[in-house]
Amino acid sequence: MGLVTPLLSLLRALVYVFLLAPIVVVVLASLNAGNFLTFPPQGLSLRWFWTFLNNDVFIDAIVYSLILAALATAVSLVLGTMAALYFVRHARREAEAVRIAVLLPLILPEILTAIALLFFFYEIGIGTQYKIALFTGHVLMTLPFVFLNVTTSLQGRDDAVELAARTLGASRLTAFRRITLPLIAPGMATGGVFAFIISFDTFGISFILKGTGSAPLPIQLYDYLRFNFTPEAAAVSTVSILLTLVLVTVSNMLFGRD
Amino acid sequence: MTEVSLLSLVKSYGKSTALKGISLDVGHGEFVSLLGPSGCGKSTTLKCIAGFEDVTDGKILFDSKDISRKLPEDRDIGMVFQSYALFPHMTVARNLAFGLEMRRMARSEIADRVARAMDMVQLTPYADRYPKALSGGQQQRVALARALVIEPAILLLDEPLANLDAKLRDEMRGFIRDLQKRVGITTIYVTHDQNEAMTMSDRVVVMFDGEIAQAAPPEDVYDRPASERVARFVGNANILDLAVADQADAETSLSLPGGGRLAVTGGADAPVSRLRVMARPEQIALTGPGEGHIDGRIAKRYFSGGHVEYHVDTDCGTLNVLCPTTQNVAEGANVGLSFDTRRLWPLPGAAHVTAEPAA
Amino acid sequence: MKRARILMLIAPVAALIFLFIVLPYVTVLMMSFRAPAEGQPYGAGFSVEGYRQFFSQSYYALSLPQTMGLGIVTSLVCLLLGYPVALHIATAPKRWRGLLYGIVLSPLLVGIVVRSYGWTILLGNAGVINTTLRNLGLIERPLPLMYNEFGVVLALAHVFLPFMVLPLLASLQTADPAVRQAARSLGAGRFTVFRRVTLPMSMPGIQSGCILVFVLAISSYVTPALVGGMRVKTTTLLVVDALIDQFQWPFGSAMALTLAVSAGIVVLIFARLTRIRWS
Ligand SMILES: Nc1ncnc2c1ncn2[C@@H]1O[C@H](COP(=O)(O)OP(=O)(O)O)[C@@H](O)[C@H]1O
Ligand SMILES: [Mg+2]
Repeated sequence: MGLVTPLLSLLRALVYVFLLAPIVVVVLASLNAGNFLTFPPQGLSLRWFWTFLNNDVFIDAIVYSLILAALATAVSLVLGTMAALYFVRHARREAEAVRIAVLLPLILPEILTAIALLFFFYEIGIGTQYKIALFTGHVLMTLPFVFLNVTTSLQGRDDAVELAARTLGASRLTAFRRITLPLIAPGMATGGVFAFIISFDTFGISFILKGTGSAPLPIQLYDYLRFNFTPEAAAVSTVSILLTLVLVTVSNMLFGRD
Repeated sequence: MTEVSLLSLVKSYGKSTALKGISLDVGHGEFVSLLGPSGCGKSTTLKCIAGFEDVTDGKILFDSKDISRKLPEDRDIGMVFQSYALFPHMTVARNLAFGLEMRRMARSEIADRVARAMDMVQLTPYADRYPKALSGGQQQRVALARALVIEPAILLLDEPLANLDAKLRDEMRGFIRDLQKRVGITTIYVTHDQNEAMTMSDRVVVMFDGEIAQAAPPEDVYDRPASERVARFVGNANILDLAVADQADAETSLSLPGGGRLAVTGGADAPVSRLRVMARPEQIALTGPGEGHIDGRIAKRYFSGGHVEYHVDTDCGTLNVLCPTTQNVAEGANVGLSFDTRRLWPLPGAAHVTAEPAA
Repeated sequence: MKRARILMLIAPVAALIFLFIVLPYVTVLMMSFRAPAEGQPYGAGFSVEGYRQFFSQSYYALSLPQTMGLGIVTSLVCLLLGYPVALHIATAPKRWRGLLYGIVLSPLLVGIVVRSYGWTILLGNAGVINTTLRNLGLIERPLPLMYNEFGVVLALAHVFLPFMVLPLLASLQTADPAVRQAARSLGAGRFTVFRRVTLPMSMPGIQSGCILVFVLAISSYVTPALVGGMRVKTTTLLVVDALIDQFQWPFGSAMALTLAVSAGIVVLIFARLTRIRWS
């Protein structure tokens, strides 16, 4: 007993270091002044951030990923919230089936789903054109996160509040807008942030369905890393980590912690 | 003021039928309770009246106008929910103002009415609090005020006191009844607590399995229940199954196991061989052995402050007797039991089963 | 009419899942039975050629047990690392819990490419670990940390650790602390309480965590590709290679489905072995 407790504490501390190490290393590497990803760094500098800012490929990829994530999140928020409302308020015997169906994109291996979508879109003659397949894939991947978060925020709620609003003279729409929506807003915000981050970072779907032309950031980064070892990739990664942090912080400030 | 009429209300959920033809009239300013065990259809009745459920068959009239097809927001009702259903993201004042805002009332008018309503339920100091920061009893009063501030024609309450502790529940009972009388609003009150229904209502509607078993003033439901089931549900009931000795027009004479006779007023319309009569525990008095209608032996004694309850073994089964604490008998003692014969109630229904063919 | 309006809530998602999950998976199933062809993804008619191709070539067939093994080891590593952490968070004071929770979730906020990339910086021959060890004079030649199973498992465990900790935490937190106190009052020591009460009660979390990590690990692409440098051949890497680079759709589909079915069997066996009788 005497030795077990400190050993456990040590293991625990190591796990926390293990979790943070790769992320910290990426950020540190982006500040490297040298030409390669050497360690220890050859002095600190922001030169790789400048290189990245002047590299249209990465800038395009980031903008492309941001737009894709915003659109996919918007669609997922609407559809996922509707499904969550149905699941919590109205589903009876079919509830479990509904839950599993909506969570399927999360349960099934992403790469297999991506391949299945690729074949399907080729079969119906669209293929990877117009980014439709890619966009559909991103909506599918993000949908479960909105659904799960809105479901959680609905489940703790007393659904009599809407009925109360109706007896007080509110129409169905007004009751939704004035009562339900404010109550599930934190859940929607959390779900939306999750969805955005998932879309921004997802690899399998984008890798298989990207088609020709510009590609989302993770794909561009992966392609680059296969043949290059400069700290520019670390600079790009650091920027993407920062974007995520900003998103989480802003959402927390606006909607509080759910 | 509106009168509510339910005309053969039927409500089915798929194959199961929650309401099997409910007919009820509620008069102007009347306080009516729906009383029954859980699952008997009380809430369903209320939801149909409020418009949250479409009725499968039958009609609902407010002031003789059919409103069965109207949306909840157009029915002019105020409703208090078991969970209170306060809007958690609005302060007390905003909760009260909501219904008035829906009616597009002028701001000053709203402020005025909200202030008066808060005063009515003694919540003025809490105007700017959120519901979470209120006690259960305070939340209850906000819910009540929110329903009343819109001055609805009808007030519906669904087990509003179920979530309060015993002492607060007693207080709120009187509070709600006083308020209702002061405002003079037609009220339908749902509860599964017979005490609540008795103490508050002008009329109690007892429901079982989606049907009305009896609708009558509290005294009638208690003293003259329409069936054995009602008798047992609205209080403690001793049921004696006795042979008929003699059956006259207005009086039936029953023979007791010890050889005595018991005369009850009323009874069956047709000649019967046996009759089941009900005696409430406080309608039986303890006497010395041989001095009452029947004899028995004290099996159990429970002291409850104001009263003593005895379980007495007799030839008619174990009977419950409620006595003032001045009358003290030990367990195991032999006693006599005397019935208050004017209040013995022959139960309708069951007796007819044993009717003998006329000789 | 009311019911119809309610169904409108679920109709779009139902259509989405049916059209873009159910139908595509049916398409993959059919594709795996199509005939191969030269110069185009697939030919006319149906055959089992894709499956034959997979099982007859040891280069492909042997990747299957290797991938399963990789998934199982990753799950175990995650469980060993994740359990003390989950236990720690579950019993930590409230004000610490948020921070610890944040650390556990932090890998999720960072893309999978970036995280795998981080591991290449750490594990490479000129990476952080090897350089440090060499500068300390502990080793002469760099340790082979990357481009092998060790590196891949380590990186996979990092990537998927949150998916182990979250279900563990959920099952530990739903367990009533009074049960543990009751066991103590009955005379059980701390270790006995852990072995006889806490551990069995967290079994549902262990189950879902292991299954989740296993499935995610065997179907991941980026991490084995970057950290394994294509030298650790997982079936998933071979599937993508066959489909995207070699354009052999029936073969790739057959391989993907075989992987999915094998994973399903492993999961079923695991669920059976760890069956929970009391819930
Ligand atoms: N939405 C519903 N779907 C199916 N059955 C319901 C629904 N609402 C109520 N019921 C059934 O109708 C019966 C009456 O319910 P209710 O009116 O809530 O009873 P209570 O008297 O306890 O308020 C119950 O058997 C209940 O199971
Ligand atoms: Mg009810």
